[in-house]
Parts: sequence; structure tokens; C-alpha cells
Amino acid sequence: MDWILLAELSANGVFVGLMYALVSLGIVLIYKTSGTANLAQGAIAMTGGYVTWALATLVGLPIWLAIPAALVGMFGFGLLMERVALRRMIGQPVIMTIMLTLGVEIMLRGLLPGVFGAAVKRLDIGMPQQPLFVGELLLNRSTMIGGSISLLLILLSLAFFNSRFGVVMRAVADDQTASWSVGIRVERAIAVAWGLAAVSATAAGVLWGSTQGIDWSLSLLLIKALAIAILGGLDSIPGVLVAGVIVGVAESLATGVLDPLVGGGSRDVVAAVIILVTLLLKPHGLFGRHHIERV
Amino acid sequence: MFYRRAGIRHTRYQDERQLFPLGFDRGLIIAVIAILLAAPFLFDRLYVSGYLLPWLIWTSAALGLNLLMGWSGQIHLGYGAVMGIGAYASVHLVRLGVPLEIAMIAGGLLSATIGTMFGGAALRMKGIYLAMATLAMQYVVDFVISHSTVISGGSLATLQVPPVRFLGIPLQGDLPTYYLAFGVCFVITLFMLNVRRTSFGRALAALREKDYAAQILGISTFRYKLLAFWVSSFIGGVVGSVLAVTYLRAISPDQFHIELSIQILAMIIVGGLGSVLGPFFGTALILFAPILLNNLLGAAAGTFGWSLPIDLRAHLPLMAYGALVIGFLLYEPLGLAKIYANFRNYLLVWPFRHAQR
Amino acid sequence: MSLDRRSFIAGSAALAAPLALPVQVFAQEKIVRFSLPQDFTRIYTFVTSEYNQGQRDYFTLVNDRGGVGGYKIVADITDHANDLPRAIEAYERGKREGAVLIDPLSTPVARALVPRALEDKINMITAYSGRSDAADGSAFPYVLPLSINYWTQAGLIIEQFKKTEKGSLKGKKIVFVHIDTPFGKEPLPILNVLAKKEGYELTAFPYTPPGNDQSAIWPQVRRARPDFVIFWGAGVGQTVALTEAIRNGLPMDRVSGSVWLSESDMDVVGREAAKGVMKVEPCVGGREPKVIKDILADVIGKGKGAGPENKVGTAYYNYGVQMATLMVEGVRKAAEKAPNGPVTGPWLNEGLRSISNFTADGLLPPTTITKDDHQGGGMGRIARWDGAKFVPITDWFSANQDVVWEEIRKNSDEFKKTGK
Repeated sequence: MDWILLAELSANGVFVGLMYALVSLGIVLIYKTSGTANLAQGAIAMTGGYVTWALATLVGLPIWLAIPAALVGMFGFGLLMERVALRRMIGQPVIMTIMLTLGVEIMLRGLLPGVFGAAVKRLDIGMPQQPLFVGELLLNRSTMIGGSISLLLILLSLAFFNSRFGVVMRAVADDQTASWSVGIRVERAIAVAWGLAAVSATAAGVLWGSTQGIDWSLSLLLIKALAIAILGGLDSIPGVLVAGVIVGVAESLATGVLDPLVGGGSRDVVAAVIILVTLLLKPHGLFGRHHIERV
Repeated sequence: MFYRRAGIRHTRYQDERQLFPLGFDRGLIIAVIAILLAAPFLFDRLYVSGYLLPWLIWTSAALGLNLLMGWSGQIHLGYGAVMGIGAYASVHLVRLGVPLEIAMIAGGLLSATIGTMFGGAALRMKGIYLAMATLAMQYVVDFVISHSTVISGGSLATLQVPPVRFLGIPLQGDLPTYYLAFGVCFVITLFMLNVRRTSFGRALAALREKDYAAQILGISTFRYKLLAFWVSSFIGGVVGSVLAVTYLRAISPDQFHIELSIQILAMIIVGGLGSVLGPFFGTALILFAPILLNNLLGAAAGTFGWSLPIDLRAHLPLMAYGALVIGFLLYEPLGLAKIYANFRNYLLVWPFRHAQR
Repeated sequence: MSLDRRSFIAGSAALAAPLALPVQVFAQEKIVRFSLPQDFTRIYTFVTSEYNQGQRDYFTLVNDRGGVGGYKIVADITDHANDLPRAIEAYERGKREGAVLIDPLSTPVARALVPRALEDKINMITAYSGRSDAADGSAFPYVLPLSINYWTQAGLIIEQFKKTEKGSLKGKKIVFVHIDTPFGKEPLPILNVLAKKEGYELTAFPYTPPGNDQSAIWPQVRRARPDFVIFWGAGVGQTVALTEAIRNGLPMDRVSGSVWLSESDMDVVGREAAKGVMKVEPCVGGREPKVIKDILADVIGKGKGAGPENKVGTAYYNYGVQMATLMVEGVRKAAEKAPNGPVTGPWLNEGLRSISNFTADGLLPPTTITKDDHQGGGMGRIARWDGAKFVPITDWFSANQDVVWEEIRKNSDEFKKTGK
């Protein structure tokens, strides 16, 4: 057993998992407040990446200005999506909502590369490329920084949920009708949830875009994000953290350990298997509270 | 005026329980069948093998999924995998020398078996969780197929379909393949039309509405959910093998990915969940709209001398596909079948519009 | 609400009405129709854009000069997004409109279209893709790679490594990182045979397509302490591979890719960071060759370019021009043999298979296509990225063709026997 390799892979996996968890954060936020699963989250991450690139390259803003501008813009995009698309779906069967988000995903995947060009774009946020050596371990510096930023953002959102507006959102997540009757503006809370989800997706898009370049494949972050969201519990933000680490480590180790046996490609299956196992054994996920109707 | 109900008086119970009591409906169906049968002689080969053939095959698949999603109310995001299993199973059997008829049925049976395992998930969860579970299963099946060289045929990973015979007729060229696809679609449509008249269909409808209420009434949800998955996956497997043999003629794992599942899902939603006519319309729209848009743009660009940047032009069909799905969900959630039903209702009582039900 | 719905339906009906649009008819001119359905949106994206741009610019150049042999070239371009039904529809449509040549630029699509192309006698060009055994023209008369296939490229790379190690690879470690698809696995047979022959140790690391997350692969590569690394992918897989390789501290001058590496990829990775990486060059890059200069002057200069000007002279653009020159040379030879056509697949096939010692004024190595060899001789050269452009470090050479052809014949014989 190559322990150093396993340690490297695990360390790498932790940070990569945290970067995936940033996308899951959005999914959990939306599910918590409005009860819908947003399958367009990966596509929104991709959109955020493209918008940032466009602001930085086409408009020419310096990168430290482009990113906040993109975040603000994408917040508005999230609000828009909720208002235009999702509001009409209230009361419809859940499959319709899923299909709607899938439709949005497909359209975004066509729109963004179509308008901005399908070539892989470079997003330089100034991350150093040189590896960091801890003894014999090689740590990928940019993944570390990316993972740390994600961790920070997730912790920020946890703190946010203790603020005044955060309490409002928690109330809406618990019981929409009761919130209405107390005078809370439920529509606004849901809209803000969507906006925040878009913001976190954009942050993830920027982080991943700086690693791999901006192109349509950013929308593939969805399946990993779903795995994390389900494992952690579709309505639990601390769950996102823990599950992110677990999924990231599991994937990295799978690539290292299983690939030679199976001949490659076990990375994506790990996410799917995690989803399956979680749903069959513990459908709430590790930290979820929501009651799932069972037969 | 066209769909006249006046003068129809039933004297036997069978007449009342007909599928198409209105004479105009019957006439329409017969006309459509006649046109489809004569299509290879009426239309250009391009239209038959490039448009009608995939339309028939994808409609059959959509009908199979509609039984599960529209009629039984279970969510299944992994239908592509089910079709893939059927395709691979039957192609392998055909390569081993088994006659095509048996290979198709065997492919369907294998899909049904594995698809019922998907259905096992449905027994424990509903809604979004069932969707996630079937999605995950799609990826797992993908992985198994692509990584077992036994199944996917070696490093070149494209399995060619050898020349086959169906009921003694060699499947070479356009005519026999078209009629095979037509035949399969016909049988499946007939099945779907009649399902709702049987106790099986009624049980599935009860499941769709409220499964525990059905359980209280004595309809075993366990049995009927699994049965729904079994039948739907069987149809999916058979259609998968027809797809492989008549249209693709060389299968590789990436043809049965999540993209196919989402495409068929879009077809039944755009067409109308739960209706039999819906998949026909939905498939036509989803299959052809991107192609037509592409050709339209190409012709327009040529005639008017526009030069759209190639990236934008290439991505427009994808945008159109997404926009279609979103548009239908927002403005007509019941799909194209409902639009047709509205149209039909209008004509039923025209010119007495106030009598519309 | 009904008003919205009605107008929505009416609008969609209006859009659906023009089903049969008039196809531009070149009734009086002699034309040769090429069908170029390629993948612009799904996997190959920008590679296809630049490649296609090169093709179209060259066709414009040729047509402006009066065509070739009296024939003008008409190219139909569509996007098949690597989706089989759309590709088949594009193929059938092209066939109906009289296309005699099709270039899908996609391995899965080409593989699926092989039986149809052979049956309908339409020339299918599979540039650097498709079936490597299609180089055997006797088994695949209508499938013409016209370019060095992946087996040859692998052979060239190994030969270059051997030269760097002063003639012997015995005991060295070579790591092969590839995308986990048939395209990525393609060089494996050759690399394994050469491993036995040359004595090096080969380790393969596949990554999941499309390859945007390879962070777990490259630490393993580093741990394996390779002497050389070959990476095999396309599009985003290439750039991510290089980025991760840099991040894991692997020396770039011992890393080589296939033909699918271009200035656009280097831009994404970082021009300075990727200095030293090698690739296989099948034709001359940059804007120096006469053909490219002509295009710049006569096509771009006159505003008839098919795409952005800064892409002219990049690697994929030149590949497109290379394939276009070969196709046009095929038409010229066909017109020489049978000046009055009729323009059919077999007519063009004759022409394509008689291309001899063609260099397109210095753009290509001397290429000869015969009835048995559809590859064209198997010559390429290795180029190295110096921070600003790819600089060739060898001359045109071919290597290990004996091993390659053995593998080709093995596979094409099986195809001949079983049609698989």
C-alpha cells in the first residue's frame, strides 16, 4: 500500500470535495426553502463562470472587480429564474419542476457557449500553480486554496442562517403556511434563497473555471453536487460540509485504488453509488430532518 | 362538425366500449396508418429513413416510459440505460446466431429483469428521491456496460450488428427496417391504448393517484409497482433492440447515456404525460425541431447572406430544445396532446361553441 | 390565458410551416458537393470550429480561383453534436443532395457511419480519428483517413523518446494518461507492442470523460516517477491534463501529446507554464506556408473569412486546411481522369486514391494515397512549444510503420471476415 499516495489522494480529495460542496450548497438552500430540487445548478455554475470571464475579458474589468460584479449579476439571475420559471410551477407535480430545471439546464448549456464561443476559456484568478511540499506529500496548492475558499463560504452561509433574515428563511423552510400566517414574506425568502444559490454556484464556477477552464463541461458538476446533497441530507447545510469531504475523499481514493482494477472511470460511478446506497439505506441522508413519505 | 357525435347510438356493449367511438376518429387513424404503410413509396428515402424511422422508434420508447411515468406516476430518469441493456443483450444474442425475433424478446426480458430492480427503489421512495435513485442507476449501468469489454465489445467499443433476418425477410436496406419499426410501434400503441381498459391499467391509475389509498382498497402496491416497471422496461428493451438493429446498426455505450433518458423524458412531457397520442407529437417536436431549425438557419443564411458566428448557429438547436421544454412546461403543462384535445373538442361541437365541455 | 395560448400555438405553427425549403441549385455550374457535419457543440467544440474554419477558407480560396478542374466545391456544414441520429440524418440528407464526400470529424460517428459509407459508396474522410484500421484501403475502400492515424502517432512519439534517450528505452518508464473512451484507448495496442520491443515499462491512467477533473490522476503519475509522459485527450481534457501536470511538478520537456494540441490550448494552460511540451505535427503550423499566406491575402484580406482572423495559422485551422487541400487534390485527380464526371462517390474515390507525392506547396509532408494505403505514408514530425509557438524539433519522419501496419492488418482482416 502506497501510504504516501493514499495520503496525497485523501488530502486532495478533501479540498476537491469542498469545491464540489459549494455547488451543493445551492441545491440544499433551494430545497430547504422551496422544496424543489434544482437540477440546473451545474448550468448556473457554468453561467457564473462565463459571466465572470466575460466581465474580465470582454469588458476588461480587473479580476477583483469582475468577480463581485458577477456575483451580484448572478444573484439577480437567480431571482429572475425563480420569478419567471418556478413560480408558475407551484402546485404542479414534482416531475414537472424537475423537468423545468432540466430544460433550463439544456438551454443554458446551449446559450452560453453559443454566445461566448465554445472554446475553453482561461480564467486567471491569480492562483499559484507550484505545488506545496509537506515532507514527501505533494499538495496541490490551487486545490487547497479553492477548497479553503469553499469552506469559508459555506461557513459564512451557516452564519448567515443565524442572522435575522436567516431566521426568516429557516422559518420558511420549516413550514411555509405557518410563516405566511405570521406575516413573513415567503415569496421574498424563496427568491433570496434562489439568489444565494446562484451566487454560490457562481463562486464554484469561478473556482472550477480557474482550474479547468470555462466551457460547457462545468455543468457536469451537477451529479457530484447531487451526491453530496443527498448524502448530507437535502435540507442540511452542515451536512453539505461533511458529505462534501466524504464524497471528495471517496472519489479520489476510488481513482487511485479502484481504477487499476477496473480499468478507469470509477470516479463518476462513485457519486452514483453513493446516491444509491444513501437512498436505499438512509434516505434522509446523514443530517437531514425532512420526512420522506414511504410506502 | 367533423367529429360528429350525432347519430351514434350503441346497441351492443362492445360498441360502447370501443376505443374510438366516433367515426371521424376511426377514419383518421386508418388514414394515418395507410399513409405510414405506404410511406416508403410516397416519400423520398431521406424522409423515410431519416425522419419517419427514428420518429417511430423514439415514439415506441416514449410510449413505454409514458406507461410508467404518465400512467403509473413513477419517476424514471434511467430509461436510456434500460434501452441500452435491451440493445446490447439482443445484439450479442444475434451475433451468437440466435434468430432476431427471439433475441428481441430476450433483450426485453433482460431489461425487464434489471429494470424491475430499478423499480425496487420505487417501493421505498417517491418523487425527487426516486428520480435521484433512477438517475444514479443510469450511471451505474453506463459504467458496467462501458467497462466490461465482454459486453461492450473490446477496445474499439462499437458493436456492429450483423445482417439479420426477421421472420425470414433479410433486413437490408430501408423497406424491411422501416416496416419492422412500424410493426413494433403499432403493437406497442395497441397495447397502450388497451391498457387503460384492463384491471391492470386501472390499478396503475389508482397507484398514481394515491398509493396508500389503493393499498387500503386491496390493490397491492408492491406487486403493481414492480409490474409497472417490468412492463415498461420490457418495452424499453425491445425498443432498444429495434433501435440497434434498424437505425444505429452499430452500438456503442455512449448512445444510451443520460442524454437519451432526458430526451425521452422531454418527449413525453412535451407530448403530454399519460396520453397515448402525446408521445407521437412530443417525439416529433423534440426530434425534428432542432434539425429543422438548423436547416432553416442554413437556408436563411444562404438566402439572405447572414453570417451567424458558427458557434452561435451550432448551438441554436440546443437552445431550441431547452426553450421548447421550458415553454411547454410553463404554458401548457399537459402537453401537445392537450392542445390537440382542445382542438378536437372545439371541432366536436363547432359551430356551437357554447356547447363545449 | 387562451389568447396567450392561441398566439403561442399559432407562432409555433408558423415556425413549423417551412418544412421544405428550396435548396440552392447550382444548375449550370459543375459542382462537387462535400458534406461536413461535425461536432460543434458537444465534445470537440472549438477544435471543430477552427478545423472547419480552415476547411471553408480553403474552399473559398479554391472557388475564387475558378475551382479545380472546372469544378467548384460546395460544402454543407451542420452540427451533429456527436449525436448518432442527427449524424445519420445529416448523412442521409447529404447523400440525397448528392454529396460525394463526408467528413464527420468524430470517432464514434465515423465508426457508426462506416457500414453506410461502404454501402452507399460515399467517401468518408476520417481525419486523425475514426477507425485506425481504415488505413487499409483494401478492406475499407470508401473510408479514407488521409492522415496519420493514432497508431502512427504513437509510433512517432515513442521514436522521438528513443532519440532523446540516445537510442534506447530499455528500463525506462513511460506513463500514458488518456481519456477513458475508445479514442483514448486506441494507441494502447501499439504502445504495448513497442513496450515489448523496446523494453520500456508502460503504465496507463485513464480519466473519466470529458476530463475536467483529473486531480486524482496526476499525483499517481508523479508517484510512478516516469521518464516520459504521453497524454491523450481532446478539448478540455488536454488543458486540464497539462495544468495538473504542471501543478504536480512534472517537467514539461518530457511530456508529449498527440496531434490534438494547439495554441488555443496553450492559452488556457498558460503560455509560459507549458513551455517545453511536445506534440505531433502532421503538417506545418503557423502562417508561413504558402497556402496560409494565400488564404490571408485572398480570403481574409477580402473579408470572406469563415471565422476570426486570429485563428488563422493555429494548429487546428491548419489541419482543416490540410484535409481540404487533400480533398481538393482528390477532385483534381478525379477531374483529370474523367473530366466530365459524372460526379459520384466512385469518381472521387478514384481521384483520392491516386494522390501522389502531394505537399500542397510545402504545407504537408509528401503524401501518397494508394488503393491499399489510405493513410498517406505515415509521416509526421514532433514540435515543441517554446512559449509563443510550436517549433518543430525534427524533420518529417515515419517510424515503427511495420508494427503499425501489422496491427492495421490484424483489425482490417477481422473486418473483412466478419464485417465488424
